[in-house]
Amino acid sequence: MNAVAALDLRFLQRPAVWVSVAAVFVAVLFGMVLVVATGASVPKALAAFADGAWGSPYAVAASINRTLALALVGIGFVIAQRANLTNVGGEGQIAVGGIAATAVSLYGGAASLPLPLSFLWPMLAAVLAGGLWGAIAGVLKARVGTNEVISTLLLSFVAVWMVYGAVQSESLLRQPMTNTATLPESQEIPDATKLPLLSADADTPLNAGLPIALLLAAVVAVALDRTVWGLRLRAIGLNPVAARRAGLRIAPTIVLVLFLAGALGGLAGAFMLQGDQGSLKARFSSGYGFDGLVVGLLARGSIAGVVAAALLFGFLRSGGISMEMQAGVPSALVLVIQGVIILLLAGAAFWIDRHKEAER
Amino acid sequence: MTDEMTAVFIGSSIRLAMPLALAATGELVSERAGVLNMSVEGMMLIGAFGGALGAWATGSPMLGLAIGVAAALPVALLQAWLSITLRANQIVTGIGINILVLGGTTIAYREILGRHSRTEIPGLAKWAPPGLGDIAVFGDAVFRQTWLLYAGLVAIALAAWVLRDTAVGLAVRAVGAEPRAVDKSGLSVTKVRYGAVLFTGFMSALGGCFLSIGDIHTFTEGMTNGAGYLALAAVIFGNWKVGRTLLACLFFGAATALQFQLPAMGVQVPTALLIMLPYLMALVAVGGLVGRQTAPPYLTRAYVR
Repeated sequence: MNAVAALDLRFLQRPAVWVSVAAVFVAVLFGMVLVVATGASVPKALAAFADGAWGSPYAVAASINRTLALALVGIGFVIAQRANLTNVGGEGQIAVGGIAATAVSLYGGAASLPLPLSFLWPMLAAVLAGGLWGAIAGVLKARVGTNEVISTLLLSFVAVWMVYGAVQSESLLRQPMTNTATLPESQEIPDATKLPLLSADADTPLNAGLPIALLLAAVVAVALDRTVWGLRLRAIGLNPVAARRAGLRIAPTIVLVLFLAGALGGLAGAFMLQGDQGSLKARFSSGYGFDGLVVGLLARGSIAGVVAAALLFGFLRSGGISMEMQAGVPSALVLVIQGVIILLLAGAAFWIDRHKEAER
Repeated sequence: MTDEMTAVFIGSSIRLAMPLALAATGELVSERAGVLNMSVEGMMLIGAFGGALGAWATGSPMLGLAIGVAAALPVALLQAWLSITLRANQIVTGIGINILVLGGTTIAYREILGRHSRTEIPGLAKWAPPGLGDIAVFGDAVFRQTWLLYAGLVAIALAAWVLRDTAVGLAVRAVGAEPRAVDKSGLSVTKVRYGAVLFTGFMSALGGCFLSIGDIHTFTEGMTNGAGYLALAAVIFGNWKVGRTLLACLFFGAATALQFQLPAMGVQVPTALLIMLPYLMALVAVGGLVGRQTAPPYLTRAYVR
């Protein structure tokens, strides 16, 4: 047996990995039972799912674009988790990122800048907006001790309704009303501010977000696992009292960590706007933040895990939409599958942790 | 504002506040015992669905209410088993349950009720306290409400009394504050917490049924639409005390009622602002800007013997 294959097998022996795979498998099986219960044909549903998820270069690219947003939120979650902070605010961070990117793209003069700057400038605005939104929770935690789960969740709801408000008012981001049928959404952002496609072929709409996200994933993975900064985060997360005795500054770290998590959420919002949707709509964030949170949870602290889980959820979403359109299976089935995966893994976490301790 | 409008505004504020108040009271009890149920949203939704389905299938709203409660209890049990026995992260469990229930009820609704979406679902009867219902203008708009509203108020008062003045209430509060001491005294932390979460399920189901068969006599996909999260916000704003939590619910109900009232009065206020107001208020509260927050010390923390 060659060395590579042996490595692969050992990877699968880790309980965290095979339990996750088993959970996904059980959840999908459960989903298939539901398909049967609704009277639809399983082969037809599966074919529709495959078609929408990876049936054509276009489908693959669309699934990957979905994956990017989920992965960014998931990476932010993992950074915060390292410092024992739970960022539930991805949905809101995406929303404020979307607002900032839209505002800068339409009214911030981004379109008149030379090419890389024209789409990077709105992106930067989104990163900053998301970061500040996350930092609010950080400041509250550091100053008043507010549980960040509660504050980031509340901030999410506020931000989601901010999007709604922004596209309802012409003095904010709503497109000029030309007739009564003008939809409550922003104008389409100029082409120069959209993420450039990687290939000239418009059938595979992979965009510049992919290399950016991959680079960020690599940087964060190295920073968390191979740098002093990553070690400090872990120290603060494992035992804040001991970390403070050792001279680490806790409060600024908490604010910084939630800023970073928020910034990644904001960037996800920029990707969704500039790479996919093109205009700000009332339901802009549409659950990506909560899915991203789940991606972060499933990853169990590893960036590689984030990538795997984000791919799973990105393809699940694409396939689910196509299943509804082609096979008449409610896309709510995907929600059921996601819910079962989350609950199985949440329940199994206890068991996995005990297993890990036994190994030591 | 004319008398009629004032009456309608007060009446609809109370009506909109009630489902929140029911769920929030249930959640408050559970949080005092140390378990945060993000799944209140899911428990309300399945209660609303069970209530509507039961009322439609049996023709009796009373049976519908019972079925709604019966549908929510297994969900509460799942939350309890995962977060108490298996010590799973309470927030993760709650989010998972919400997603599962949203997907499950949507599919079940389309399969069972969707085809009959035009048929009227029998709803709970209206009732007004003797005397109060006959007051001019206000009697009808304010006091003539679903009887569940009055029954709910009684249930909330009972819960408040049990929590404050009885041995059971003391046990619940102690489990959220000093679980080890409770354990040493011979009482089972696990049992108390299970009971508290099941109570949340019961009250959330009543809140859900209030939405579906009490208020509008129909079920729509994802009809709770964040009401469960509002209930959570109310508990936070209420500083984990029954009176203030109820007040928060009434505030939130009034803010929702204003969304319909203000345009009718010709006042232009962005709807989004009114919808986000409850969340902003809760945020200000947890930010420590309105007095000290005293969350139960062991909230979200599993108990390990």
